Amino acid sequence: MSTSTATLVLLPKFGNSVESSIIVRWLKQIGESVAEGEALCEVETDKATIEVPSPAAGVLLEQRVAVGDDVPVQTPIALVGDRGRGGMERAPQSVDRGLQPALTRAISPRARNLADRVGLDSTQLVGSGPGGRVIERDVQAALAAQPKLTPLAKSMLAKGGFLAPQSGSGPGGRVLGKDLVEESLPAAPQGNEVSSAIRQPDSETEPGVKAVPITNIRRVIAQRMHASLHTTAQLTQHRTADARQLQALRKRFKASPESLGLRAITINDLMLFAIARTLLQHPELNALFSENTVYLNEAVHLGLAVETPRGLLVPVIRNAHMLSLRDLSSEARRLAEACQTGKATPDQLNGGTFTVSNLGSLGIDSFTPILNLPQVAVLGIGAIALKPIETDDSVAFIPHIGLSLTINHQVVDGAPAARFLQQLAEYIANLDLVLAI
Amino acid sequence: MPKNILIDPFEARQPGILTAPAIPLNAYMPDAQAEAARYGSANLVRMYRDMCTIREFETMLDRLKKEGSYEGISYDHRGPAHLSIGQEAAAVGQSFHLTPDDFIFGSHRSHGEILAKSLSAIHQLGEAELLQIMENYLNGTILRTVETFSKRDMPNLAIDFVLYGALAEIFGRATGFNRGMGGSMHAFFPPFGVLPNNALVGGSADIAVGAALFKRVNRRPGIVIANIGDASLGCGPVWEAMMFAAMDQYQTLWDAEVGGRPPILFNFMNNFYGMGGQPKGETMGFDVLARVALGVNPQAMHAERIDGYNPLAVADAIMRKRKLLESGQGPVLLDTVTYRFSGHSPSDASTYRDRDEVERWRAQDSLLSFRAYLLAHGHAQGDELDQLQAAIRERMVAVLQAAASLEISPRLPSSQIAGLMFSNQPCDRMAEGTPDVLLPLEQTRLAQTLAKHRFGFDAEGKPLPKLRVLTYAEALFEAMIHRFYQDPTMVAYGEENRDWGGAFGVYRGLTEAIPYQRLFNSSISEAAIVGTAVGYAMSGGRVVAELMYCDFMGRAGDEIFNQMAKWQAMSAGVLQMPLVLRVSVGSKYGAQHSQDWTALVAHIPGLQVMFPATPYDAKGMLNLALRGSDPVIFFESQRLYPEPERIVAGGVPTEYYEVPLGEPVVRRAGTDLTIVTIGATLYVAMEAAETLSQSGISVEVIDARFLNPLNYEPIIASVRKTGKVLLASEACERGSFLHTMASNISQLAFDALDGPVVVVGARNWITPPAEMEEEFFPQKEWLLDAIHERILPLPNHTPNTEQMLDVIVARNRAGV
Repeated sequence: MSTSTATLVLLPKFGNSVESSIIVRWLKQIGESVAEGEALCEVETDKATIEVPSPAAGVLLEQRVAVGDDVPVQTPIALVGDRGRGGMERAPQSVDRGLQPALTRAISPRARNLADRVGLDSTQLVGSGPGGRVIERDVQAALAAQPKLTPLAKSMLAKGGFLAPQSGSGPGGRVLGKDLVEESLPAAPQGNEVSSAIRQPDSETEPGVKAVPITNIRRVIAQRMHASLHTTAQLTQHRTADARQLQALRKRFKASPESLGLRAITINDLMLFAIARTLLQHPELNALFSENTVYLNEAVHLGLAVETPRGLLVPVIRNAHMLSLRDLSSEARRLAEACQTGKATPDQLNGGTFTVSNLGSLGIDSFTPILNLPQVAVLGIGAIALKPIETDDSVAFIPHIGLSLTINHQVVDGAPAARFLQQLAEYIANLDLVLAI
Repeated sequence: MPKNILIDPFEARQPGILTAPAIPLNAYMPDAQAEAARYGSANLVRMYRDMCTIREFETMLDRLKKEGSYEGISYDHRGPAHLSIGQEAAAVGQSFHLTPDDFIFGSHRSHGEILAKSLSAIHQLGEAELLQIMENYLNGTILRTVETFSKRDMPNLAIDFVLYGALAEIFGRATGFNRGMGGSMHAFFPPFGVLPNNALVGGSADIAVGAALFKRVNRRPGIVIANIGDASLGCGPVWEAMMFAAMDQYQTLWDAEVGGRPPILFNFMNNFYGMGGQPKGETMGFDVLARVALGVNPQAMHAERIDGYNPLAVADAIMRKRKLLESGQGPVLLDTVTYRFSGHSPSDASTYRDRDEVERWRAQDSLLSFRAYLLAHGHAQGDELDQLQAAIRERMVAVLQAAASLEISPRLPSSQIAGLMFSNQPCDRMAEGTPDVLLPLEQTRLAQTLAKHRFGFDAEGKPLPKLRVLTYAEALFEAMIHRFYQDPTMVAYGEENRDWGGAFGVYRGLTEAIPYQRLFNSSISEAAIVGTAVGYAMSGGRVVAELMYCDFMGRAGDEIFNQMAKWQAMSAGVLQMPLVLRVSVGSKYGAQHSQDWTALVAHIPGLQVMFPATPYDAKGMLNLALRGSDPVIFFESQRLYPEPERIVAGGVPTEYYEVPLGEPVVRRAGTDLTIVTIGATLYVAMEAAETLSQSGISVEVIDARFLNPLNYEPIIASVRKTGKVLLASEACERGSFLHTMASNISQLAFDALDGPVVVVGARNWITPPAEMEEEFFPQKEWLLDAIHERILPLPNHTPNTEQMLDVIVARNRAGV
């Protein structure tokens, strides 16, 4: 055994919500000397670009990740030590042992199973097994460091199908059963596997091509969108609804006394109200599908697609069916702002039972929204346009709003979806009455 | 070794000349008148009929192999057919004077012998006896099938039964003598005294001696003949069998009442060829085969060369020799001259012999000369013999039609083969009767062992003096003496079993309690020790054979791998094999005396393999093995013989008990890591577990103690709990049985594993000198380091031995 030692540099966890970071560039090359605390490389999180300091003085012996790699936190990224070869401080293996398990992502079946069962993301774990393999005790250690769970929450986690948030609503942040969120379906293959056959332009030699590494959020979006289309059977139904009441109400609210606080209510808010009330009658669409089980929800937690500078986010209006129109409107606004400013918490971005996406203001008549897994339905709202309607003896042009409902046809049949749209159209057409419900 | 036989230096150093008996060559003088009086026409014609029957049976096989049809019936026989066309007179002459109580064992070329012996037995048995035999054999399966095409009366029904049973066996059908599991080279039918033929050249020699030993020790009637070929004299086990058969002790030391030497006749069917080699003049140096008997004993085994082309010369020799054998004056050697016209097998183009030579022998074909003899001396008319010939052909057509048909003669569903591998018929005694003993049980050494402490520690946990505590060796002794006093058929032997008490003292005290014929020293003949035990067991007796060192198993390779392991299944359950082979695993004695070869026998289907590691198991597992009906390789560790019980609370019970077959046992309960051991490495694992417990790692130690059968469930349950498992034994790592176990654990508990299944064995070297054994056999540090490097890095642990994964590749690349 060699007596010289080397230090493994782990990618730091820059804040609680950071799961991984992208390596932007190496500031030290292999063989270069580095002082303790001196920057080794730059990484980009979803929030900022940060330098990774060297934990020890010495020579950069190895760069274990490449520029552009999306690296989970606490993964070894470099080795700093004496020139020559060295043993290792953290993990008990020498550098030259080619046959020790690969350092990144190696995990024992047992550890993986436990992590899955308790809803831990195993890619986040630091392995203490031979060669840095994640073994059972690493998962247990991570579990112990997790927020306290009530026995109910523990048993729900153990049974599977749920993920635990960082902290819960119980005393001292204790996670209660109701704080757990549904686990999404298994992730689809990484994008680069899928597109391996696609020619990649070379930005350095081809003029007019600029390579833009995608952000973390975009990466997540890419994965989720792909998983959605890849693992479900999506069917979109289109229809329109008489929008005269929508427009009339919007006009009245706008003109209402300021003291009522109704002026900010938008057509979209009115639509959300109608949708939440309609969903109460159609639990089969207010549902989640996971592991061969459909979970019908009594409460409507309405996801709202929001465009942000960093990409699409879907904040969730909890218990939307219980909110008055005014409260619904202000909640929608508050969440949208939080997303725009990057302040939305994971809790605000999880737990929806149905999603609404509105492209009407951008002039889209109808489209095919993509399911937000594990939800089974998503409604797209289109623009309001005049539609010729046959009356007793002539044709009238009446404003109609476009509705595009995508369902997971694996578990939702076409007719119930159409009936949902039918009732929604009725509610919209008679929204003044529905407000009284 | 016996004190009552003096080795006198004066006698040993005395000058003189050794003289040897003269060996008669073809001394039989034909005398037609005397023969007519001795046999009568009917028997002489019957001999001719049997010779013709064999010739036709084998001619049929020859046609099927070479032309694909016989008498218009097509059949593709894929298996072997080693024919003895030309040797019929030797088989028929031999069987004439043999009774169903006499056993014959054969070779790969024994169709003629089994038919001749069966036809002779049918002639001797009454109608009712024959019917009973056929009804009882395999629950009447063969008889029911024969009745579908044969409407004959006795004894013709029985003749059809024999021809059909043999042919269906050759064709691999469930309606054959051995359900098709034996085939051409292993067909046999015990009720007529036809014991297994053997596909290993000379393989029957020591087995037949074991059967003769069984007859002698258990006072059963009949003699035993080993029909083996001239070329088998090049095989060591044949010589070992002759040495074993000729031991002086049968007459010098055994009680005369037992009856003298085992009634064994080595009949060399001397057809002058062994594969493509020619023993006379080419591959051997004896010139006349019978000469070898001069080297065996002062009687030269009463050897003779006899004319195997004259059935009456052979019959005469058997009649004379059986008297010698029955009076305890064996063994006998016969050099039976004969010749095969057919090749070694259908693939043999006979390129090694001249066509003229074959023609010379054909001119003396016994069928032609014996027919001429019968006609010349008025025993039969020509048309009578022609009719006889036609009737045989007709019979053969019916038998072939039935045997070739898959409807009438189906194959055994392969799903049933597993059920034939073990007989699983435990019984207290293989035969009724009072066991021969010299002392009442309570006056034997058992009284002393029972009086010892049964556990190695006192009530306070302090170790008791070793001499006062029952040891592993003594625990084995208790199991042995228990069964000796229960089962009258039980015998035990090995190279130092009597007087010495076994090289490691296991049998100390048995010499005083058990008479010679049940406990004796054998010649240094590992092949014959195991081979005779195989014959003894298949004849119906319980036997414990001993190999002093595991390393000597190589000397008994065929007997262990091909004979002991195979006969139960090859007989389709007709035979049992209550044979326990005690094998001592050594240490301290270097490269040829310190090897653990458990993997070799665990690999061979048909063997049970046990390896107790504590005195409790030594007794409980030997008890189990000694009440069973299956062949057991019973490994013992020389490290453990002097050790008291240190693990099983309560110690070794004084009363009888058995360890459940195939069940591993948890020696120390734990939750974090499982160590499974085989053999003495258990104690190393226990130490490692203790060390690890100081680091807060709770280790479960499991002693597999069985290799086959083995219930994996307790092991898997433990691995599911701990997720981590290391396997260790003293066997060299490469090819160790632990790798089989590791593979099974990986498959059965993959999702529960927190790391790879790690195997730690001895180095893949020769065993170095005793002083260097710690470099060779697994030590506690090896286990700890392997855990640290491969499964679970240990806090503040610095490995001192090479257990990194890299060494696996490096060592394998280097072949070490």
